[in-house]
Amino acid sequence: MITSKKIVLIGHFGVGKTSLIRRFVENTFSEDYKVTIGVHISKKTIEIAEDESVSFIIWDLEGQDDIKKTRVSYLLGTHAFIYVFDLSRPSTFENLKNEVNYLHENYSKTPLKVVGNKVDLVNKEYLAQYNDKFDDLVDLFVSAKNGSRVESLFSKLAKELI
Amino acid sequence: MNQDEKLSIIKDILLTDEREFTSSIEKKIKSLEKTINEKEKLSNKVDPIIDDKLNNFIKEIPKTLGPTITKTLKEEIKNSQDAVVEALFPIIGKMIKRYIQHEMKLLSDKINTQVNNTFSFKGIFRKAKSKASGVNESDLILQELSNTKIEQVIIIEKGSGIVLAEFSKNKTTDEDMVAGMLTAIKSFVEDAFKKESQNLQHIDYDLYHIHLQNFSSFYIAVVISGAYNIIYQDKLEDKILDFTSKQKVSDILNNKELITQKLEDFFNNDNI
Ligand SMILES: Nc1nc2c(ncn2[C@@H]2O[C@H](COP(=O)(O)OP(=O)(O)O)[C@@H](O)[C@H]2O)c(=O)[nH]1
Ligand SMILES: [Mg+2]
Repeated sequence: MITSKKIVLIGHFGVGKTSLIRRFVENTFSEDYKVTIGVHISKKTIEIAEDESVSFIIWDLEGQDDIKKTRVSYLLGTHAFIYVFDLSRPSTFENLKNEVNYLHENYSKTPLKVVGNKVDLVNKEYLAQYNDKFDDLVDLFVSAKNGSRVESLFSKLAKELI
Repeated sequence: MNQDEKLSIIKDILLTDEREFTSSIEKKIKSLEKTINEKEKLSNKVDPIIDDKLNNFIKEIPKTLGPTITKTLKEEIKNSQDAVVEALFPIIGKMIKRYIQHEMKLLSDKINTQVNNTFSFKGIFRKAKSKASGVNESDLILQELSNTKIEQVIIIEKGSGIVLAEFSKNKTTDEDMVAGMLTAIKSFVEDAFKKESQNLQHIDYDLYHIHLQNFSSFYIAVVISGAYNIIYQDKLEDKILDFTSKQKVSDILNNKELITQKLEDFFNNDNI
């Protein structure tokens, strides 16, 4: 059986939302930055068990530096959120707690994954300084560039959604 | 001096003058002859005069002949309106049509670039169809212009844009992607017009018309190719209402297989 699920990626401009989707859906990566305007929809089906598949209908929204500015109607009926920030740019996670709380408060029933992207650009020492901040907020460090943990992000989600 | 001598002197005087006179006349006549005979020489002299006169005449036409011409034309037009209309119609008609076409094109270009910039919807239908059928895109365009066909019917959950059921004659598009895009566009447009009662009812995309009909928790999108006008729209609306009420669609939303079967039974023909 195939179940369809709407996944929405949100986060600031340039944190790598589009790149993560392309890595997951097409297994490609590109260095050039093309700003997403409006919404892009992509789809990928993964098998989580024999005769059990999840079709991700992935909504790539244009970046917003303030989550409250995201068009609410795009978020209706979402089965899971992926909140993305850029590990190499502290400005994209200085408000992390507030933004995550906002989602928890307004969409309490919708599963949420918080991921720090571009882990390929930072080292252990760098990450260590933010340990306290990331500890209970962040689910995964990923890289759209080298593909690190992108697959596991989505397969975890799929299992949680069934 | 005798008589004879005197006479001779007078004769001399008189005859000399006469001779001179004669020769001068002779010269003049010869030159006249020349002028008249040599056409070129004549026209050289006459042309500037005629040109002058003609120029003046033309300049004066509005004053002199103008009223007469206008009067004649007016009468002509009055007496043979049909002929005049017929003569002018193609010119004026073409001008107006071209102007409107141009304006429409500007408008639709504007809308298209806006939609293309906002939503990655590009040729999703025709491209997919072209690939699947092996017919080139421009041939498809021509084919598509000819008759109205229901290409695809999708029942879509409001908000999430998840497909609840789908029916299409030739499987050429990914209904999940189409449903997602439609839902995003619908949200965008309905947001932009804020009023909650306002629903997007119709989207034109390339040569496809997407008819949207709202129900409480879902909406139905019908992708149509070919001519789509108010009469067709009206009939289609009724057909969809018929379908949802007779088949009690609201009660079976969770049963994808059953709705899909019913959709197919109901829409597997072009009658509306
Ligand atoms: N090094 C590195 N660069 C990335 C990664 N993911 C995205 N980028 C780059 O970051 C820029 C913005 O990416 P994009 O996916 O468009 O961001 P979006 O605005 O969130 O959709 C692009 O130039 C990408 O090439 C990553 O994991 N590592
Ligand atoms: Mg993007």
